[in-house]
Amino acid sequence: MNIRASLSRKKLIGLTAVLIAGSMTLAEIPANAADPGVSATEIVLGMQLPETGAASPGYNKVDDAMRAYFDYVNSKGGIGGKKIRLEVKDDTYKAGLTISTASSLINKEKVFAFIGSIGTQTHISVIKDINRRKIPDVFVNSGFSDFYNPATYPTTFAALGTYVTEAKIMGKYLKEKYPDKKIGILYQSDDFGRNALEGFAKAGLTFEAKKTSADFIAGTQGSVGLASQLTQLKANGVEIVIIAAVSSATAVTLLTASALGYKPDKWAVISVGSDATTFQTIAGSKGIPASMSAAMLTGLISASHAPAPGDSADEYVTAFKKINDDFNKGADKRWDNNVMQGMNIGYMATGALKGTLNPNSTFSAKNNKTCQANAKKATLTRVCFIDYIETNGSKIESAAFTALQYSATTHEAFSGFWIGAYDAATVLQPVSGTRVVYTTDSGNGPVTVSNYKRPAIAADALPKN
Amino acid sequence: MKTISMRKLIAAVGAAALLSTAAVAIAPSAYAAAPTCTKASDGIETCTGTLSNGAGYLIKVPAKFGGTFFYWNHGIRFTYPLPGVITVPKGVEELTPSNVPEAAMLRAGYGLATYDGVSTGGLRGWNTADRVEMLKELIDTVKAKYTVRKGVVYGSSQAGSIITPFVEKYPTYADSVGIMAGVTPSIGQSLQALCDAFYILSVFADPTIKGCAAMGTKGLAGHYAAAAEFGKVVALLTAWGGNLGAPGLEYPAALKGSGIPQRSALLLTGLLIGLPAKSAHMDGITTSPVIAEQSINATVAILENFGEAIATGTFGGQAVSELTGPGFYDNTKTNWFSLLDPADSGRYNLGLSGDGAIAAMLGVLSLAPRVTGDPAAVAKLKALDKSKFDTTKPVVLLSNEADRLVFAGNSALYVDKARAIYDVKLAKYEAARDSAKTSEERAAAAKLKPFFNVASIYAMTPETYTVYTAQGLPNLSGAPSPSGVGHQNFTLKQMMAWVKILAHAADTGKVGSPGYLQQYIKKAPGLNSDLDYRPADLKYIW
Repeated sequence: MNIRASLSRKKLIGLTAVLIAGSMTLAEIPANAADPGVSATEIVLGMQLPETGAASPGYNKVDDAMRAYFDYVNSKGGIGGKKIRLEVKDDTYKAGLTISTASSLINKEKVFAFIGSIGTQTHISVIKDINRRKIPDVFVNSGFSDFYNPATYPTTFAALGTYVTEAKIMGKYLKEKYPDKKIGILYQSDDFGRNALEGFAKAGLTFEAKKTSADFIAGTQGSVGLASQLTQLKANGVEIVIIAAVSSATAVTLLTASALGYKPDKWAVISVGSDATTFQTIAGSKGIPASMSAAMLTGLISASHAPAPGDSADEYVTAFKKINDDFNKGADKRWDNNVMQGMNIGYMATGALKGTLNPNSTFSAKNNKTCQANAKKATLTRVCFIDYIETNGSKIESAAFTALQYSATTHEAFSGFWIGAYDAATVLQPVSGTRVVYTTDSGNGPVTVSNYKRPAIAADALPKN
Repeated sequence: MKTISMRKLIAAVGAAALLSTAAVAIAPSAYAAAPTCTKASDGIETCTGTLSNGAGYLIKVPAKFGGTFFYWNHGIRFTYPLPGVITVPKGVEELTPSNVPEAAMLRAGYGLATYDGVSTGGLRGWNTADRVEMLKELIDTVKAKYTVRKGVVYGSSQAGSIITPFVEKYPTYADSVGIMAGVTPSIGQSLQALCDAFYILSVFADPTIKGCAAMGTKGLAGHYAAAAEFGKVVALLTAWGGNLGAPGLEYPAALKGSGIPQRSALLLTGLLIGLPAKSAHMDGITTSPVIAEQSINATVAILENFGEAIATGTFGGQAVSELTGPGFYDNTKTNWFSLLDPADSGRYNLGLSGDGAIAAMLGVLSLAPRVTGDPAAVAKLKALDKSKFDTTKPVVLLSNEADRLVFAGNSALYVDKARAIYDVKLAKYEAARDSAKTSEERAAAAKLKPFFNVASIYAMTPETYTVYTAQGLPNLSGAPSPSGVGHQNFTLKQMMAWVKILAHAADTGKVGSPGYLQQYIKKAPGLNSDLDYRPADLKYIW
């Protein structure tokens, strides 16, 4: 077939334009050219999470909350005149689908950036490719510390403190609070569990395999169950059980322990596995009434980097809750930790985008001139967006009680957590009555009390970057 | 490597004792025979003849020949027979890839030519050096008879190891180059991984497996020794296929009683060698009451892929060992931990029985006695091909996402090597451009500006495609994935898209812009429109 002869003149003109565009190499693309996912009127962001499937309860509310916050921003005129559109793909927590949905977000939806993706096991399957393509991968909902080394993954930034950091802080608390108690751990034997073990070890809390330490293969908690692990911990007299696992495993643990008559003095759960509504949803699906599941949670120790959603005195909670009431169109908009997290990511992303488009922002020395010029022209590029976040982490506002610690050497998010216990109304309350935020790093730094003063949220609940 | 029926291969093991040791006599010809041509009623002229070494060739030219010739290079064929199982091919088997696009290419006005690279002449098996010269002679023969405006040199699998050095040695003989499911061009990297497979199975499942360490004896004896190694793996796979790898590991002693199921060792082996975790029938994602989790689906995919992958390792390895001599495999410096991609250990964590089992399996691998090769043979393996990847001719690669014989990472490696050469040229150009002071210097610098003339196209599987029976068992005998699996296995539309792109590249000297390539890609379901797609890297890169 003769291609030229088979094309109409109109098509030929179009094809010529494509050819001209397509023949440009990356080096020839003007520094101020906008990247995919950005137009004069819109910024398209992409997210992957389990909307359906066994891992979805609770997590499937985060995207609706993010979208609600972006809709709120859009109602106020957007960012530099551009509205934010969030494209969401359901990977059902299966990495194969994470790969194909990432491809779809990149090639069909043409997203400018990935934002808020949920799941360590799933995100690890795409993080390398997203970085290879130099696509921003921001505010990832995983505390796995390996993701946040910019030397390995320069475009990826966390939305949580790392599991190591959280475990260090929780470990120090438990060790000091319960010096005479036998402390054990139940963890999933994967990146998450390994990261948590590392943190507890850094806090001086170590466990004895097959005695005070029990593990399970992530994903088998529903099918195989956790009875043998809990029987082991019970038989070894473990009085305080740490759970380093996802919420569904926490639910199985508490329900199984109840059935076994195992009542340790305390349960202490890494925060991603302790969301109250997630636990109660799963318990409800097993026929456990809400009142009973709330009672099971009461006294359970956990940690948080941000205010508890039930903290009605917190100004961020108040502001985000109102936006949720007004803009969340999700199937389940009940205010909880997942919604709070989604709102906070929307808030941080808005700040980062605004900052990137602010001509007064400062960028790295390498990109400052180009990015400031871009900002003056309201041109949003991936390079400048990443640069802004990395260079201005501490200036990106959030509801958390410690600043974002992004820099050229780390893309970890929050360094601080406070320790709380669930009350009868399933609200996480500070263990000592007054919230004390501890801070540390994922390395061997000490755990200290944070003196960070969180900036007040503006009256319009929009970040001022 | 042509597809081999697993049933037949298993039968081969039983027949091994009956194998003949008779060598096949080859009598090379001294002169090329002139082509003998006939013209059919449809106007297609068919010519046959023999090259100077006695190998046959085949040419077909349509009545409306447009001046572009496609010169096809097939992949490796068996050098020796296995009675009842393997027949050494004689004569031209295919004029175009698997003979699928022949009619369509003739209708498009292309001349077609190929030669028999295995029946006679030179060393068979991994006879790349001979075939470079045979290809040149074929093209000379065609040009002596026809007026050829443009020539496309293309081929599959082993042919990557033939046409890459060919176009570097004879740059005026090709206007564009097509590599389908090809090695990069060295098979060395792939062989190292496939030899690892033998070794790992010898640690976890059958200590009698010697694998690549048993290769290197020339002739039928070596062929049968390699086949015997293959038979041991087939026996293992057959057993695991029957019990789904459920029993706990028996080997080594450190893992006996650990409760790690054999299927976890199989999955780990597949992941360590880079075997695709998707197969003809298993999508690596979907679940059923029997296939309880995605990683179990992937384990069955590994099982389904393993036989033919290891067949490549066996017969390709034996063929290569005739060049290198025994001892081409050495794993004394292999770091098994580094071969497991963190993404794989996370994604397939359940199938691998969790981090504890992963650490235990990798730990015993690290402690197991290693295979020490012959340094000279190892060096020969690494130096099998001396291509520079510096051709300026347009090169278009076509690969299946889940090719179980020649992994898709081969194409990525080709692109990387070509890109490295391009980057050097680009740096020279930029230095000249930046230092140019006069118009003459600027003009001279402009002439140095390179053009990256490689495109890599991939055929992908659908997102999900496993079919389950009412009992939840995967149906492994039904229709396979319509795209993205198998070796040299593409749809007619996919092949013709590649052919058209190659023809255009031959005309223009360039692979075409992304926009241009998309014109054809979009017409061929299954081809990936994401031209920036990158498959998993090969486990070994040199």
